[in-house]
Amino acid sequence: MPDDDRVDRKKPLVTVIPFGQTPVIAAKVIAAHISGYLNMDAETLPSMPIPPDALDGERLQYNAARIIETLEAADMTNAFKIVALFDVDLFIPLFTHVFGEARQNGRVAAISLYRLSIHADGSCPPSDRILERAAKIALHEMGHLLNLLHCADPLCLMNFSDTVDNLDQTPFNFCRYCRRSLHRALASP
Amino acid sequence: MQIMIVDDERIIRESFFHWFQKSGHTVETAASGAEALDKLTQAPFDLLFVDIKMPGMDGIELLAAVKERYPETLVVIITAYGSIESAVNAMKIGATDYLVKPFKPDQLSLVMEKVAQHQKRSSEYNYLKGRLEKITRFDNIIGQSAAMTAVFEMIAEVADSDASVLLAGETGTGKELIARAIHAKSPRANLPFIAINCGAIPDTLLESELFGHQKGAYTGATHDRKGFLEVVGGGTLFLDEVGEISPKMQVDLLRVLEDKTVTRVGSRRPVSVDFRLVTATSRDLDAQIDAGHFREDFYYRINVIQIDIPPLRQRKADIQLLADHFLKKLCHETTKRVDRISPRALQLLEAYDWPGNVRELENAIERAMVLSKSRMLDEADFAFLQPPGKAAAHGPALRDMEKHHILDILDQYGWNITQAAKALGINRVTLHKKIRRYQLKAGSRDNQ
Repeated sequence: MPDDDRVDRKKPLVTVIPFGQTPVIAAKVIAAHISGYLNMDAETLPSMPIPPDALDGERLQYNAARIIETLEAADMTNAFKIVALFDVDLFIPLFTHVFGEARQNGRVAAISLYRLSIHADGSCPPSDRILERAAKIALHEMGHLLNLLHCADPLCLMNFSDTVDNLDQTPFNFCRYCRRSLHRALASP
Repeated sequence: MQIMIVDDERIIRESFFHWFQKSGHTVETAASGAEALDKLTQAPFDLLFVDIKMPGMDGIELLAAVKERYPETLVVIITAYGSIESAVNAMKIGATDYLVKPFKPDQLSLVMEKVAQHQKRSSEYNYLKGRLEKITRFDNIIGQSAAMTAVFEMIAEVADSDASVLLAGETGTGKELIARAIHAKSPRANLPFIAINCGAIPDTLLESELFGHQKGAYTGATHDRKGFLEVVGGGTLFLDEVGEISPKMQVDLLRVLEDKTVTRVGSRRPVSVDFRLVTATSRDLDAQIDAGHFREDFYYRINVIQIDIPPLRQRKADIQLLADHFLKKLCHETTKRVDRISPRALQLLEAYDWPGNVRELENAIERAMVLSKSRMLDEADFAFLQPPGKAAAHGPALRDMEKHHILDILDQYGWNITQAAKALGINRVTLHKKIRRYQLKAGSRDNQ
């Protein structure tokens, strides 16, 4: 999309970036969901290399907090929010792993397909299930970037899903309270 | 929820901070045990996540200190060096849970669920405790011990009748409160309650006070005056320290009780009276009868029903309730902010014999509060309590100490009441009351 178009945009732009070997289709699905559910413009960029200092040598996992810090410091002035997509295992120092990570009211979210690609029993789900999970995580993290908190309603996307089973049971739906908060946040981005 | 993360690793503090922020909690962080304790003195916290391995005070030491000072604050221990031993140790001291870093997100979810359940149970407990407190208060008399429950039952039983009640108990056990409760529960509740301390009034004056006098009955009797036996007008007359009245007065009162009439001093015309008599004594009246100082017929007349008020040392189950009550009451009366009594201090209070009973306990709490600089009364604040056996002389000693302390502060501030009250941590009205109570005057130090 030409840069000139972006200058005149009325809707805020979300940029979805696949990193490393992450399939571009996943980035496109996520962009479509952000555009459809949040009524924001979303674009995908070509794959980028994973920031090398994100790899933790001891844990052999990638530090999501460090990735977020790196991308926040990068010069991407056109993007209102950035969703970084990975197929490697992400962690934050507290947890063994995370499906996704974003700072409250921040600018960058990091999402990993790694643990979304396995069922709790160790078997592999079909690819549409993996993409569905990734889209749910992306909408959840976008909620945090738009200053939404975790929601107690298990049928709301802002409810915290700590397992893929929980995530599968969560419908594509923001509860009415979270939807109202989203509208408020998008009215004055 | 107010959460504090205590960990010397910045990265862990930040991770926790962002995580709990996303769940809408208020999060504080501390890099050491000392910093955490400092923050706890400034604001209350519901939940602490505490790392075990920290320089200086380690997590277990911090856990013990928090449980000692803030027993309602929940503590979850976190460590990268987990062992069954340290887990068992932490749980024994009172940790709510134990997490080994790094943990799965669902482990944290489970801990938070546990905390939420604990808080729910705790608020239910506080609700029930509040209800229990209402039940354990009987017209301002506080007690849940078996001994006091028996007293409450007696009050309820005797209140409806007109029978004379003798309250027997040591000084400071709250006999007047019980007399007031009997009056309040009786059909006479809307009529006057008059309390007279027979031990504090000379016999001749007591006669005039009770029976009244006719104009010219004696020097100074310039007009007719009704005595309390008439003034009480159908209400309850409470004679405290009835064992102190003279044999002559006992005869006069016996007659009043039998005839239900009273004759004013200097008059010959009897006047009908109606009252319910409640008396109290801290003396052994049986021994007084044996010694010939108390009339047996009068004794049986006033002792239709006897209620024995237990001394505080026999109702130690009530000490915490009473101490909390006095703490709240004194906080309300003064500007001091003292929220609680530490478990160690409570143990000390429960171990003490309380020769001055509930009154001495109230004085002790007040003294500890006046001198305390913390929001919690600790063992050291009650250092003035002597071990059992040496305690008989405490009441006056406590009063003297308070009196001297107030006088010191007043002198220090040149008798500026506002400044002195501020320094003492009490309000001006309370200070004025104390000045009156102790009859303090500027320059009176030499007489103290």
